Amino acid sequence: MSETTTAEIADKPGVHPAADEQDRANRKASSIEMQGLHKRFGRDTVALDGVDLDIRAGEFFTLLGPSGCGKTTLLRILAGLEEPDDGSLVVGGKNVTEVPPHRRSVNTVFQSYALFPHLSVRENLAFGLKMRGMPAAERHVKVDEIADFIKLGDLVDRHVDQLSGGQRQRIALARALICEPDVLLLDEPLSALDAGLRSQLQVELLRVQRRLGMTFVFVTHDQQEAMVMSDRIAVLNGGTIQQVGAPREVYERPVNAFVARFMGHDNLYPISTRQGGRLTTALGTLTAEDPGDGELLLIRPETLDLLPGKVEGDNHLTAKVAERLYRGSHAEFRLEIGDTTLQATVNNRGRHLPEIGETVTVAVAPEDLVTLHE
Amino acid sequence: MKKRTLARGLAGIWWVTLVFLYAPLLVIVLFSFNSANSTAVFENFSLAWYRRLFGNEQIISAFGNSLVLAVSSSVVALVVGCLIGYGMYRHRHRKLGWLIVLIYLPIVLPDIVFGISEMAFFVQIHEWTGLLQPGLGTMIIAHVTFQIPFVALIVYSRFVGLDPTLFEAAKDLYASPVKRVVHFMVPTIKPALISAFFLSFTLSIDDFVISFFTAGPESATLPIYIWSAIKKGVTPEINAIATLMIGAVAMAAILSMLFNRQGRR
Repeated sequence: MSETTTAEIADKPGVHPAADEQDRANRKASSIEMQGLHKRFGRDTVALDGVDLDIRAGEFFTLLGPSGCGKTTLLRILAGLEEPDDGSLVVGGKNVTEVPPHRRSVNTVFQSYALFPHLSVRENLAFGLKMRGMPAAERHVKVDEIADFIKLGDLVDRHVDQLSGGQRQRIALARALICEPDVLLLDEPLSALDAGLRSQLQVELLRVQRRLGMTFVFVTHDQQEAMVMSDRIAVLNGGTIQQVGAPREVYERPVNAFVARFMGHDNLYPISTRQGGRLTTALGTLTAEDPGDGELLLIRPETLDLLPGKVEGDNHLTAKVAERLYRGSHAEFRLEIGDTTLQATVNNRGRHLPEIGETVTVAVAPEDLVTLHE
Repeated sequence: MKKRTLARGLAGIWWVTLVFLYAPLLVIVLFSFNSANSTAVFENFSLAWYRRLFGNEQIISAFGNSLVLAVSSSVVALVVGCLIGYGMYRHRHRKLGWLIVLIYLPIVLPDIVFGISEMAFFVQIHEWTGLLQPGLGTMIIAHVTFQIPFVALIVYSRFVGLDPTLFEAAKDLYASPVKRVVHFMVPTIKPALISAFFLSFTLSIDDFVISFFTAGPESATLPIYIWSAIKKGVTPEINAIATLMIGAVAMAAILSMLFNRQGRR
């Protein structure tokens, strides 16, 4: 009895400690529905070739893909900076396909930050509010609020050209957030920053999104970044969506070879014969528990165990170490089984790490094997 | 050792160039304060020629014409040139090569050819329609045509120097087309606009050849007045006018440079 009461209380926004923020979240979040979006540049370049995609309210959603896959075009269509040749776009229940960007409650954090050089940081932050006709006094209060929220400190009173890359990035974020849009779009906002600052800002960005509960649509070509940040990821290639799913789903159960390779998987092997769960590839025959009906076998490097020497057993393969990359926390191996290579990643728990030339036994659990289509 | 000699030689060329550029101007400025009516012997410092200058109605009227011509042609050239510069920027990805050459042609055309053609053109129009009687109006049109390429070029290069996503950021932040012009484009290129204005102003004040061919009987500008006065001999009065013009043009040029630099900061 007491257990159910606690659960109920936790679900009620009014009793929640962050009630104010929750309230804000409920007010702001908008869903997005895209249907049959097509976009072509010139005669031959197809940027989007029929995109259907639903993004949920309050979701951190990532468009992931190599350059030229259409992710940026899709984001620009969401912003209104590009008009689709065909298809419809609904944001928060309203069809905005033909609404110009300045009338959409959508704001963008640009890759180049696009801070106005003729304005101070404060004026940059207030620009959107000013264009919407908010009086100066209110704007001032709002800017102070957002500066507090993003922890800009005394940056507000500086000039734009006195800012570092990371500072510009945060100002650009604050300038977009201050307008409290239905949807925030982020076009590779961290790609110009160095690795350390980048991971710090990833965490910060995620925290901001969680606190506001705003719908974020994030574009990146970095699958690591996508996995860290996102509730769900859409992987794009050639103007079409390959797969939509939570990071674990996309990484662990990619639907095709493109997604698998893009998520960093190299261990893909065509299946020559299969009998129930027994799959034969160039590596040998392995038993899989629930492999699906694909024609390619995917073995994730981190699911492999390396045992020294030759050990007989189910799902054991004998291999020779061809290459070893020691990375401190873990080591990466390139193994040779006959003429076929296999990548393995082993956590460094202080145990023996096989040397180059050593014969090892590769063990893989049946439940870790999945198959996918070309 | 050899290198130093070479460096000294180059420095020498620099100083000689400066002397030939500025010494004549200094001579004119100096003799404009000469009390004697001579361009050879300097007697005493005096402001007599300036006093006479300001008493001369023809000069005052020529000065007024110059000013009206320079200001009004610069304003018109600024507006039109600015639109052309923006248009060139907007459509920079299209192949506009020959169109842009058309705009720049007047810059390389000899003034005298340009002036004569303008005169012939205006005369023709006047014969046919009765409009465009030679005078300040025709001069303004002629000046605007040679000022426009400079304005367009300055505005265009300022736009090209901007991050193109700024235009999108303005749209994204709820600025309507009109607000984008007022709150983003004009303030962003303001230093370039001011610089272009002063450059146009100097070009107009300086111009003699084109003004000469397009002027009417009542619309002599300072350079035209000087030219006709000089036929009677160079008087210290002319030196005084020249000195004032040097001052005005130098000021406009310096302002133009300062504002342009501020824009590129």
